[in-house]
Amino acid sequence: MALRVTALHKSFAGAHALRGVDLTIEPGEVHALLGHNGAGKSTLIKALGGAFAPDSGEIQVAERTYAGLTPRQSIAAGIAIIFQHLSLVDSLSVVDNIFLGQEVARAGVVSRRAQRERASALLERLGAHCRVDDRVGSLPMGQRQLVEIAKAMSRNPVVLILDEPTAALSAHEVATLEATVRRLKEQGLAICYVTHLLGEVERLADRMTVLRDGRVHSSTSLAGKTRADIIAAIAEPPTALAPRAPIHEADPPQLRLEGLTGMGVGPIDLEVRPGEIVGLFGLIGSGRTRTLELTYGRRRRGGRVIVGGRPVDRATPRAGLRAGLALVPGDRTGQGLFSSLSALDNALLPAQGTLSRFGLRRRGAELAAFERMSAELSVQPASPAAPARSFSGGNQQKILLGRWINGVLPTTVLMLDEPTQGVDVQARHEIYRVVRAIASERRTAVLFASTDPEEVVALADRCLVMREGRIVDELAGDAITEEALLDSIHHLPTSEKDVR
Amino acid sequence: MSTPQSIRRLGRYPLLPVVVLMAVGFQIATGSFVDHENLVGIASDSATLAMVAVPSALLVISGYLDLSVGSTWALGAVAAGWWASSHHGSLVGCALVAVAAGLAVGAVNGLLCCGLGLSPFIVTLGSLTAVRGLAQQLAPLPLTGFSTSFAWLGGSSTAGIPTPVILAVIVVLVAGFVLLATPVGRHIYAIGVSREAAYLSGVRVRTVPFVIFLLTGASAGLAGAIKASVLGAVQSGTSGLGFELSVLTAVLVGGVALSGGSGSLFGVVLGVAFLGILQNGLTLMGVPTFWQQVAQGVALMVAAGLAYLGPRLEALTAVRPPAVQPPTAPEGEQLSTATVMTSQP
Repeated sequence: MALRVTALHKSFAGAHALRGVDLTIEPGEVHALLGHNGAGKSTLIKALGGAFAPDSGEIQVAERTYAGLTPRQSIAAGIAIIFQHLSLVDSLSVVDNIFLGQEVARAGVVSRRAQRERASALLERLGAHCRVDDRVGSLPMGQRQLVEIAKAMSRNPVVLILDEPTAALSAHEVATLEATVRRLKEQGLAICYVTHLLGEVERLADRMTVLRDGRVHSSTSLAGKTRADIIAAIAEPPTALAPRAPIHEADPPQLRLEGLTGMGVGPIDLEVRPGEIVGLFGLIGSGRTRTLELTYGRRRRGGRVIVGGRPVDRATPRAGLRAGLALVPGDRTGQGLFSSLSALDNALLPAQGTLSRFGLRRRGAELAAFERMSAELSVQPASPAAPARSFSGGNQQKILLGRWINGVLPTTVLMLDEPTQGVDVQARHEIYRVVRAIASERRTAVLFASTDPEEVVALADRCLVMREGRIVDELAGDAITEEALLDSIHHLPTSEKDVR
Repeated sequence: MSTPQSIRRLGRYPLLPVVVLMAVGFQIATGSFVDHENLVGIASDSATLAMVAVPSALLVISGYLDLSVGSTWALGAVAAGWWASSHHGSLVGCALVAVAAGLAVGAVNGLLCCGLGLSPFIVTLGSLTAVRGLAQQLAPLPLTGFSTSFAWLGGSSTAGIPTPVILAVIVVLVAGFVLLATPVGRHIYAIGVSREAAYLSGVRVRTVPFVIFLLTGASAGLAGAIKASVLGAVQSGTSGLGFELSVLTAVLVGGVALSGGSGSLFGVVLGVAFLGILQNGLTLMGVPTFWQQVAQGVALMVAAGLAYLGPRLEALTAVRPPAVQPPTAPEGEQLSTATVMTSQP
């Protein structure tokens, strides 16, 4: 046994992220960790990385038991985590990155030769092609990732955790990475492999553990398992949500994109009717986010964006907003939230102009609008003056949603990018409820992008599958199931790797 | 508002008790500090600083910076002095040319920083040098012999309050009003916290700071004219020299974060008062100028220390409502893990 997690519990702000997770990984085993957004995968990984102490439970690494880890203890214990965001310094060479902070020194002087020898041995062990003197910033993504793995391996870890490692890689790079994973497995390393992609599970993994709502849903060996078995193990029964109001086919579309192009995306043609919820489903890099950004005016675009029959001529968020478009970006901390400003400012910033009279803010009207918004979205706590950063991820997301659906702005087309990323399960269901309700009651057209098939099933009336910046498939109504969605990206004429 | 809350609110301004204690201390030490005449003197000396520190603070809150105000001051002084000495200039004409010169500098700074997105530090460092050179080229010799109406700008007073002080109060009130009572005020903070999020929220992320650059330039030009009027002469090489440092010191001592997105005008006014009182009190006590400089510098460093300690002290003393939970930003946690992974010895 290399890593054993026993009955791990963790809650944030009263929301349970982990409710008793058990996980055992043996040396020489590739263990796939699967589950939907909010199922607890990233919380588990962060607990192993020492980002926070678990509330209860044990973490056992190579026969030593810990009640909780600090980042230093985690590394010292032998846990190496490769996050999607690599911790490399672009301006430094490969060897300098590998030994950053743990330089090999003799009498206080860095021994460059010893470092270079050890670095090239590590790179060879991983099957990486880059040279030790290459500048990391000039390397392709796949090689950078191998450098990150080499850096982790230089500390002789017991277990290597890869968090969706292929998300940003090209087809060829995926093959290289998979070969590296097999090599390390043969060398006896325990590997935990987090992914959405079933092909990778089939090709690499010996066992898999599926998390659901912070618990282990199933944990089985993959020997003799078929694709259908895996899908059946992952798929969740659909959650009971209020029925949707009908969408009238005769209604003219509220949003129409005609030959939308830009940033390697398109041409894209699509229509969203009033009250309809349309999902853009695809892997990372398939162009979902860019489609939303181009529509909103965040980036320069070609083609036409027509809202409520009127073309939006200028490609700026201001022009989009005025036309009735709104976007909740996927990068909550970078593009959405003003972390040090109050919840009220966050929720009402674009609405303050509308609420003002003679150019003066009206505090009373703002507070009333905030109260309405926080009641409708059940924001907890409903304190307008608290800074946004003091809220949990789910409540931050509700505040961002409230920025557009507070009843003050004329939002007729709501766009959501990964609406429930980093959000706990309860908040996720509340967000689904609210989005469905505003589509049904206010006839708002909703267009959302997601990599999570369960989300598409829960939200979408119609789903457009994206690949390489284009829409390649369409599913509607009862035909939208997790099986069908996973099929649509896995069983395409070309191999799965070309999807990126 | 209950008393404890208003006290806590004042607790956000650790400078306030410091300023009060300083005034008391100087009064005890010199016996003449709180004389009416001396206080009016402090106010009029501080007026030009306040006038420029306020728009500069707005600039810093929105995530920008203007280092060129000292040179803009000189250009404004030269423009006003030139008009006052050669055109038998009316007061309005003098003020207008000074403001126009400041607007021009602000426009260039603003276009480069907001329009092209260049680094405000670099751009305004450049204009600090270039505008000083321009002022000296335009007026290589000292300008004197100003019209009597120009002297009114710095020398007159209404109801015992000097005109520069009245102008400074107007600037503070208008800016404070904009910051607190209008949507644009919120936009200024929002741009400073996250320009990208502000842009996606439909805020005019270029126009708003551009206008503040204009206002900063205009106020620096006018401040230069006021000082020229007080002194009755302009020396383009030394006029307003180092003024940008006083402005930044006042802004930062006043609690505005250099990283943008936070700060208040009340704090900035306190910062201005602090510098004015410090200088005046030390002068009254006969402390040499160089030691005064040391005191100013140390005060800035102490303010930086307070900015570090402040939130930690507040966290210790503040009574949190139980429902507000500590931050649980998952991205932050991921980042911290990654950072620690790289910084392992």
